[in-house]
Amino acid sequence: MSKLERLMNLLAALLHTSVPMTAEQLRVRIEGYPDAGPSFRRSFERDKDDLRSMGIPIRVELVPGTDPPTDGYRIDPKEYAGSDPQLDPDELAALHLATNLVRLDGVQGDQALVRVGGLVGDTGAGDATNSERPLAALPTDTNLGPLFDAVRTQKSVGFTYNDTARTLDPYKLSFLRGHWYLIGFDHVREDERQFRVDRIDGVVEPLGNATTVRPDGPSNDRAESWELGDEEPIVARILVDGDQAGWAKHYLGRDAVVADHDDGSAEFELTVRNREAFRSFVLTFLEHAELLAPPELRDDLVDWLTELHAGAAS
Amino acid sequence: MSRLNASERVTRLLAVIPWVASQPGVHLDEIAERFGYPRTHLEADLLEAVQFVGVYPFTPDTMIEVTLDDDRVWIHYADWFAKPLRLTAEQAMALLAAGESVLALSGDENGPLLGGLTKLGAALGVDKGLDIRLGSAPEETLDLLRTAVTDHRVVELDYYTFGRDERTHRSIEPVRFFADEGKWYVSAHCRLADDERVFRVDRIVDATLLDETFEPRGEGGIHVFTARDDDPRVTLEVTADAGWVVQQYPNEGVEELANGGFRVTLAVAAVPWLERLLVRLGSDGKIVDHDPSIPADLVRATAARVLTRYQAGQ
Repeated sequence: MSKLERLMNLLAALLHTSVPMTAEQLRVRIEGYPDAGPSFRRSFERDKDDLRSMGIPIRVELVPGTDPPTDGYRIDPKEYAGSDPQLDPDELAALHLATNLVRLDGVQGDQALVRVGGLVGDTGAGDATNSERPLAALPTDTNLGPLFDAVRTQKSVGFTYNDTARTLDPYKLSFLRGHWYLIGFDHVREDERQFRVDRIDGVVEPLGNATTVRPDGPSNDRAESWELGDEEPIVARILVDGDQAGWAKHYLGRDAVVADHDDGSAEFELTVRNREAFRSFVLTFLEHAELLAPPELRDDLVDWLTELHAGAAS
Repeated sequence: MSRLNASERVTRLLAVIPWVASQPGVHLDEIAERFGYPRTHLEADLLEAVQFVGVYPFTPDTMIEVTLDDDRVWIHYADWFAKPLRLTAEQAMALLAAGESVLALSGDENGPLLGGLTKLGAALGVDKGLDIRLGSAPEETLDLLRTAVTDHRVVELDYYTFGRDERTHRSIEPVRFFADEGKWYVSAHCRLADDERVFRVDRIVDATLLDETFEPRGEGGIHVFTARDDDPRVTLEVTADAGWVVQQYPNEGVEELANGGFRVTLAVAAVPWLERLLVRLGSDGKIVDHDPSIPADLVRATAARVLTRYQAGQ
C-alpha cells in the first residue's frame, strides 16, 4: 500500500461523503493506516497537511449526533474544483511561455498550468535567444495569497501596519517598483489607502464581506515612498537639472511636470504625505535638484543639511 | 527528470485523471508531456495506485477503472475527480501576473495571451484586481533594447551613471534583458569599459540602434552590482531605523549592535553613491572605518555642496 494510493483514497472518501467523517471512520475505511492510536493520529495529521498544502480545502465540522461532540472531515466538491476557464491550446501555450518568462517566487508555474489544462506548446527552453530567457521573478509574501483571495471574493481584512490596527476593503494588489502593494478602503482613516504588503505586521485576518466597492476608473496607485504616509498632504515643488530631468520626467510622470526650462531643467509638483521620505528622495539628486517650495519643506531640508555640515565636523 | 514524491504525484494525478477521463483514449506519451509527468512514473502510478482508488467498500463498482491498451489509456468511474483541483491563490496570482507582465511588453492586443488571461480572470472572478509593473522605462527604449538583444545589434548609449553621477557615451552589445526589484536592466558587453556591464534602462538618456551586428560573448550577467576587489571599503554604523541599508545593498559583513543598529561594511564602487547614502541617513548613520581614498569629512563636504544651491542668490 503506497502513500500515493492512501492519499488518493482519503481524497475520494472526503469528496464522496456528504456528512463529515470522523478520523476513526476514515481509518477503518481506508487501507494503509496504522491501528488506532498515536501513530495513526500522526499519520492522519500528516496526510491532511499534505493535502492542504496542495490547496485542497478540507472542512472540519462537528459530526451530527455525536456525544461528546466529535470533529469530522469532508471536502465540498464545489470548493475543491475550480471553474474551468476552457482555455484553447494556443491560449495555454501563450500562458506557458509567459510563466517561463515571469515567475512568482515559491510557485511552480507548471503546477499551476496543469490545473487549467496542461503544459501546451514549445516554450523554447534551451533556445538561447533572449526572448525565451526568464525576465523577472516576483517576490512572494505569506500574506499575498490570502490577500488575493480577499480581493477576489470582496472580503474585508484586518491587519496591523505601523503599529496601528486597520480594517480594509481590499480593491487591488499591485506590483510596483519591486514591491507588492495593497490598495483599498481603510475603515479607520475612512479613505482609500495603500500599504506595502511586506510591511504588514504578522498575519492578515479575513473578516466579513466588504462594505465598499472599488471605484471605477484607475485608482491612485502611485507607490512612492513620500506618498505612503498619514501626514497632512502638502504639495512640493522641485527643480531638477538638465542631465537628470529626462529620467525624473519618466519616473515621476509627465503629469508632475509644471515647467520646462530652456536649459533642459524641469520643475515638478508632487504631493507629499511622508516628509522624511520626500527629503530622502530629493537628496538622491545631490546638488542637481532644488526643493523650491513650500518654505516649510525647503527650510527643513536646509536645516538637515546645515546640521550635517556642522555635526559631522566634530 | 527528478523523482516525484507522493504529494507531487497526487497534484499531477488530480489534473491527469479528469483530463484523460474526458478523452477517448490518450497515448501515455501525450499525457506525460502535457502534465510534466515522467512516463515511467505515470504508467506505474496509473497501474499500481489509481486502479485501486475508490470508496468503501471497494467493490469494482466503487473504484476507478483504468484501462491500458497499446500505450493508450482510458479512465472510467472517476467521478470524484471529474474536475481538476482548483488553483491555489498563489498559483492563480502566478499565472495572472506572468500573463499580464508579458502582455504589457509584447502588446499583442487580440492575441491568445489576452484571450487566455480574460478567460482565466473570469473563471477566477478577478477583474482588475491585480496590476503588475515589472519596471518603469520608456516603451521605445525597451522595444529598441529587446530588438538589439534578439538580433545581436550594437546600441549606442547616452547613459547617466548614477553611482558616479556622470553622463557618458558608449557602444554596447546587449545580450540580456531583465527586470529586478521594479527596474529594467540590460546586460551587455560594453565597448567603452571593454567588459561586461549591467545598465539600468531608466538611466538611458538616449539610445540608437545600429545596423552593426555582434557575436555574443556570453550569456550576460544578472548581477546588478558586483563589488570589485579594488573598490574602496567603508564601514558604517547605522541605527535600527536605517536597517534598510543592510537589506538594500550587498554588504561584506554585518554585525548587530547592542542598541539594535548595525555595523556594516560596504564596497564603494563610486564615491557619489556613498555621498547620497550619507546625506540621506543624516544622524542615522556614520562612518566608523574607511579606506584612505574616501575623505573622512565626506558628509560635511557633500552637505556643504548641496547647501550652496540653497544659499545662492539669498
